[in-house]
Amino acid sequence: MGYINAIIILGGINVIAALGVAILTGYTGLFSIGHAGFMALGGYMCAIMVMEFNVPFAIALLIGGTFAGLCSFIIGYPAFRSRLRGDYFAIATLGFSEAIRLVLNNTYEVVGGAFGYMGMSTLTTLPVILIAVALALYFAHMFVTSQYGKNCIAVSQDEVAAQMMGVNLLRTKLIALFISAFYAGVAGGLLGFYMAYLSPSFFSITRSSDLLAAVVFGGIQSLIGPFITAFVLIAVPELLRFFAEWRLVVYGLLFVVVMLFRPQGLLGYVEMNFAFARRWWSKLTAKKDASAKGGAA
Amino acid sequence: MELFFQQIVSGISIGAVYSLLAVGYALVYSVYNFTNWAFDAFMAFGAFMAFYAISLFFMPFWAAALISIVLTIVLSVGSERLAYRPLRLRKAPRLFMMISAMGANLMIVNLLNLIFGGSFRRFPVDAAKPFFIGNVSIGRMDLLAGAISFAILALLWWFLYRTKPGLGVRASSIDIMTASLMGVNNDAVAFIIFAVTGALSSVAGVFYGIKYAVFPYMGLVTIKAMIASIVGGLGSLPGAVVGSLILGVLETLVAGYISSTYRDLFSFLFLVIILLFFPNGLMGKSGDEKL
Amino acid sequence: MSTAILSLRDLTVDFGGVRAVNQVTLDIQPGELVGLIGPNGAGKTTVFNLITNSIQATSGDILFQGKSIRNKMPDAICRMGISRTFQNIRLFPQMSVYENVELALHNAPRYSILEAFVRTPRASRIEKETRQRAFELLEMVSLKDYVHEKAANLPYGLQRRLEMARAMAANPSLLLLDEPAAGMNEDECNDLIKLIRQIHTQMGYAIIMIEHHMNVVMDLCAGSRIYVLNLGSILAVGSPAEIQSNPDVIKAYLGERRNVR
Repeated sequence: MGYINAIIILGGINVIAALGVAILTGYTGLFSIGHAGFMALGGYMCAIMVMEFNVPFAIALLIGGTFAGLCSFIIGYPAFRSRLRGDYFAIATLGFSEAIRLVLNNTYEVVGGAFGYMGMSTLTTLPVILIAVALALYFAHMFVTSQYGKNCIAVSQDEVAAQMMGVNLLRTKLIALFISAFYAGVAGGLLGFYMAYLSPSFFSITRSSDLLAAVVFGGIQSLIGPFITAFVLIAVPELLRFFAEWRLVVYGLLFVVVMLFRPQGLLGYVEMNFAFARRWWSKLTAKKDASAKGGAA
Repeated sequence: MELFFQQIVSGISIGAVYSLLAVGYALVYSVYNFTNWAFDAFMAFGAFMAFYAISLFFMPFWAAALISIVLTIVLSVGSERLAYRPLRLRKAPRLFMMISAMGANLMIVNLLNLIFGGSFRRFPVDAAKPFFIGNVSIGRMDLLAGAISFAILALLWWFLYRTKPGLGVRASSIDIMTASLMGVNNDAVAFIIFAVTGALSSVAGVFYGIKYAVFPYMGLVTIKAMIASIVGGLGSLPGAVVGSLILGVLETLVAGYISSTYRDLFSFLFLVIILLFFPNGLMGKSGDEKL
Repeated sequence: MSTAILSLRDLTVDFGGVRAVNQVTLDIQPGELVGLIGPNGAGKTTVFNLITNSIQATSGDILFQGKSIRNKMPDAICRMGISRTFQNIRLFPQMSVYENVELALHNAPRYSILEAFVRTPRASRIEKETRQRAFELLEMVSLKDYVHEKAANLPYGLQRRLEMARAMAANPSLLLLDEPAAGMNEDECNDLIKLIRQIHTQMGYAIIMIEHHMNVVMDLCAGSRIYVLNLGSILAVGSPAEIQSNPDVIKAYLGERRNVR
């Protein structure tokens, strides 16, 4: 039971971070290979808030997320302002996450350097993670269906046309990046308080690749796709130990194969919506109406 | 003062190795407008091939280097055929090209890791005895790496500006559609570009392996080359060389005078600063799209 | 002069060594519909690109409602009230017809980001208003039956109409139409003439229209002016009749072996 618990919690954390990447890569068309860096920023900030300043966990998570979001502007602003396309930004995210790891590895005051930040309690329990995932999914859905989210989609489909139609590219991209980094930061905070310690090695390129894989396989312009794959990608290597070693090789191969044969991903362009539930509900009520009428007649 | 000169020479030498990689990025970018993310895998692959050619088959250095170059060219051209060309022909969005390249990279690097193991290997070449010019000591391999890198760049120059296939590549970098209408064979250009960049990455891998070590994730250093090519301006070959030399020298100075730990942090900060003040890099073409 | 909605002052741009647009000066009054014609490569689309600042001018100035917009970002120019269509259609291919129009309506979202997350009643009301407005515009260009179709799946002629609806959704006071009739047959052209005239009278926009179909231009600009651009410079200005009988214009077109239809 504890084992299943662990998979659900780690999967849930991955889901939250992957939803962030989905907003950035899937919906806005910006390619990040350094989201682990934002997770690290949020995770450490959250840990410091709780451990050093006795801030309640929930608030500390929000502070951690906000901190990660604000730090994302360090790369976002210069990379988006130069009107050159995705490559700059992707390189900058990679450099950023490596720079953060470097700093954390060599800062022994407070955060413990390469040994990690120790002595944290386990605050991320199953109910906590379920609530956090539900909120994350709900707010992500609200965002991508809002006018802000639709501007993001337009930017991802044709940046030039979007700009000509009056969309402020810099602002739109920065908003998407902020939210994306916020999600990653919250996920980082949850991770630290599940593992009961934080180490810079948690936030390597491998983690960024895992998150990217969730979005590539799950599909672009979809929340439910990355939601499912983010969970599966954590659960499968946990359940099949032999696969864990090979997983990055397989992911790599699948990246190429997916792009060649199904570039929209498994559930690309499938909006998470409750239309099916509504249809089912209306069918149900219609039946009831009919039977009520039938009874009356 | 001696230390300063030593730093400069060492910086130019590492900058020359970066420039091999940065020129590779720039060459691919100038024609196809995308960053070849699998480049670091090619580099690590090249280093591994040379390493095993020497340590397992006791080949002389030059033969090992040649084998490594040939094999890396095969890998580079092969990955173009399998992972990039179909997408290019389909005119897939750039995001897809990037993801495909990232996939090739993930796969190759982690295969190296699984097959050969993640340990750090010292390259079996005697690089110990330094030269002395006055009191300035210069590493033999530093000198060799710098000299060969510049020789290769000169050769590339000659090829691009003095030969007919080179003209085809340059024409494609201006407008690949028009070039193909004018009779430039697109497939041949793709072959040339990926063969040349494969060779460049292999040489860079070997030199980098000699200077530091051979290990599967050594390709991470290509992020420096990417930064250098951005500093120079994405897609600009002279920019890539200039950017690499600047970065190489500056980061060696930072390592020597400030802190070697924060050398890599410096290159990232350098990127941010350059982007803030030179949004198109120092010599780059602007990324504006035609309407 | 001072009442002009758009004035180009000696507008010039060089590409490498080529002068693509040379000292173009023109004034458009509010609510005017003028044509911009010229042989291929005359620099017509470049003029549009300069107005929307997708290309930086080398020299000269662009005044919109009396203010210089030469250094404004393209999106800011759009929000100030200049909207355009594209010669080679640039819709958002994977978005629905409705979403394409809706996007231009909320290019600057009309509620705050926090309201987006919790969807306050005010945000919902704004969403509803936006939806209504989008449907009105789609009705105007007769695309109401296609609202949920993906833009990429529309036939070519309808894509052009959708581009117009999208441009109108940005609520412009000046509309730039880049070859709206390209690739259309005579019947479609006649429908288009009707549509543009309707848009013009109903919405009161000033419109500049680049067009190769001479009957479309001559018909729509009957009461106003046509600018003829050749090799980047303005060759002639005048009413359709004047343009048709202008020997320089005929020569410019014949030089390209192309007849003024």
